Amino acid sequence: MEIMRIVVTGPVGAGKSSFIRTISEIEAVDTDRKATDETAALKAKTTVAMDFGRLQFGKNVALHLYGTPGQERFDFMWDILIRKAHAFILLVSSHRPQDFRYARRILAFMRYRVKIPMLIGLSHADNPAAWPMEEIILALGYLSPYNRPPTVPVNALDSASVANALAVLIEAYAREQVAELSRL
Amino acid sequence: MGINVNKLEMTLQQFVANASNVQGAAIVSPDGLTLASSLPGAMDEERVAAMSAAMLSLGERIGRELNRGEIARILVEGEQGYGILTSCTEEAVFLILADHNAKLGVINLEIKNVMGELRKQLLGVAQPVSL
Repeated sequence: MEIMRIVVTGPVGAGKSSFIRTISEIEAVDTDRKATDETAALKAKTTVAMDFGRLQFGKNVALHLYGTPGQERFDFMWDILIRKAHAFILLVSSHRPQDFRYARRILAFMRYRVKIPMLIGLSHADNPAAWPMEEIILALGYLSPYNRPPTVPVNALDSASVANALAVLIEAYAREQVAELSRL
Repeated sequence: MGINVNKLEMTLQQFVANASNVQGAAIVSPDGLTLASSLPGAMDEERVAAMSAAMLSLGERIGRELNRGEIARILVEGEQGYGILTSCTEEAVFLILADHNAKLGVINLEIKNVMGELRKQLLGVAQPVSL
């Protein structure tokens, strides 16, 4: 049995915990605590260590999903989790442009540590205030239309949507592996 | 009555100064924000607070999943000493750092003693105000 570790990261309230809870086959492990900082305006509880979920993918692969806390004061958890990851998802709320810069910072943090396949998941894409996908990608720093990571809208509460995002990520991962093999 | 942060810090400072082998102490919220601290100079209290919260929440989760019941204390023992996390009130976690010469029995007693005082100061606001 092969284990593939996927990290789900992104700003506060992007839907990281929901994402994992929605797709996990086991009861997702969470470390939610009552929020007392500015997060409290957004939601009552916030992740302080990590979320964990598991999903059987095909016969031989088990996906282990790790969700990070959103706040930067927990960046030591980002570091711990990303170092062992095979791929990661950056979840960004489409309707909170004030988060884009911060999402970019998280992206830089991860990119600095690992070179692994990634996916940008745009949550809350159905919100009337949501930005168009193209503009969000630009705001995240991908100015050139080439070499962009795959980007999909994600509804973290809908299992089909979450499964689709994971499938796209795994495809990217597989492509990366093939590319690596052909380089050898 | 509100929380008197100065008094809280003072209590921590006195604790760190008087308890033998204790190098630092902090009170943090369960979501990782500092309420009061008296830490060695090089330590960033924001990080310490976040780490304490993460540690305690994982510890509590382990306690639950492995049927260890309510977590009273989490202890990290390193070459340079101890880090001990104790749940103080519903809204506060108490962290102390002690050097490697510390005797655990004494430290535990010290924690117990100061905890009474900390609880009293912290719960001053948690209780409903009757008008």
